[in-house]
Amino acid sequence: MVKVYSISNCPWCDKVKKYLKSRQVEFEECNIETSEEALKECQKLTNDEAVPVTTADGKEYVLGFDKAKLDELLGLA
Amino acid sequence: MAAKEHIKRDVIIIGAGMAGLTAALYAGRMNLSVLVLENAIIGGQIANATGIENYPGLPNVSGRALIEATQQQAEGFGAVIDEFDAIQKVNLKEDPKLVETEACIYEAETVIIASGMERRKLPLSEEKKYAGKGVHYCELCDGHMYQDKVIAVMGGGNAAVDAANFLTKYAKKLYLVHRSQLRADEASQTKLRENPKVEIFLETEIKALKGESRLEAIDIFDKASGESRELAVDGIFVNIGVSPHTDLFKDEVELAPDGRIIAGEDCRTKLPGVFAAGDVREKEVRQLTTAAADGTTAAILAEKYITSKKRGNIQW
Repeated sequence: MVKVYSISNCPWCDKVKKYLKSRQVEFEECNIETSEEALKECQKLTNDEAVPVTTADGKEYVLGFDKAKLDELLGLA
Repeated sequence: MAAKEHIKRDVIIIGAGMAGLTAALYAGRMNLSVLVLENAIIGGQIANATGIENYPGLPNVSGRALIEATQQQAEGFGAVIDEFDAIQKVNLKEDPKLVETEACIYEAETVIIASGMERRKLPLSEEKKYAGKGVHYCELCDGHMYQDKVIAVMGGGNAAVDAANFLTKYAKKLYLVHRSQLRADEASQTKLRENPKVEIFLETEIKALKGESRLEAIDIFDKASGESRELAVDGIFVNIGVSPHTDLFKDEVELAPDGRIIAGEDCRTKLPGVFAAGDVREKEVRQLTTAAADGTTAAILAEKYITSKKRGNIQW
């Protein structure tokens, strides 16, 4: 399952989520402000707290909105 | 690779900030076919604004709420907003105007450039090393990383002071560092000065960023006393001004020395059918309200241009 680590009020997080929806990619939204578990997962994955972070396998991830990298990560190209 | 589809539109609006969305709303309401292309964030700079107090009729509104409402208004009148199909090049001297994106080639009767501004990067060679690792440009996106930590905000305009006020909700200590005197609205300055967490350094420049893998401190220089000092900080948020998004248009329309597009108060550039609206237009006052005014003007005159062209009597 694709996961998007985000916070509540973040324009770039919204853009990533809108893009995934526009490409019919199902994803789990993990809010690192409201979920301690999501925060720990995100920190473990990226060693940081910057968002949005998108991952498909919990290992490779894309930080921010980068369409080309997201397409590659998610096999959308 | 398949040939790109050619699509015709009456109006193409480049940029979905307040000017672009207002133009879309007006043009859509005049039954023109409208496409808005946005490479970055819908709302532009205003999307990050936390509390807008000077938009008439809305005493205290977030940038997000204002932009969402304006976007819905524009879409309600038929405007289409595409934020995922990036523009690659434009040819505005042609008739029709050509706007080529990753997926399509759009042909438009008129183009309204409302591409806005982007935040200036910190002019220090080590900025790249710390970008995202202590050096930030979006307080709304990254402020949460600094709960109970020490933050410095660079800049002295409205955006900087508003960012500083917002970040006080996270910071245990907040420094505001600005190279001259504050230019922000008096109300925002007062709010900041009255916050006990805040310390303000004016006539002070940032000289260096320090830290192993993340930012740990900055060097600042007090221009009045000639003294330098090191401030231990966990993160800095940079708000030292903006520069116009006009790279795409530099061979098409006339630019001022600062990169903004030269156009009159009627938003007309020298190229018939091409308008510049909002902060990207060279003008003295750049506010949310004047961006909305530019969007209004450009859309109404775009409709007039299209009608006059159809009659064979172009008015420009």
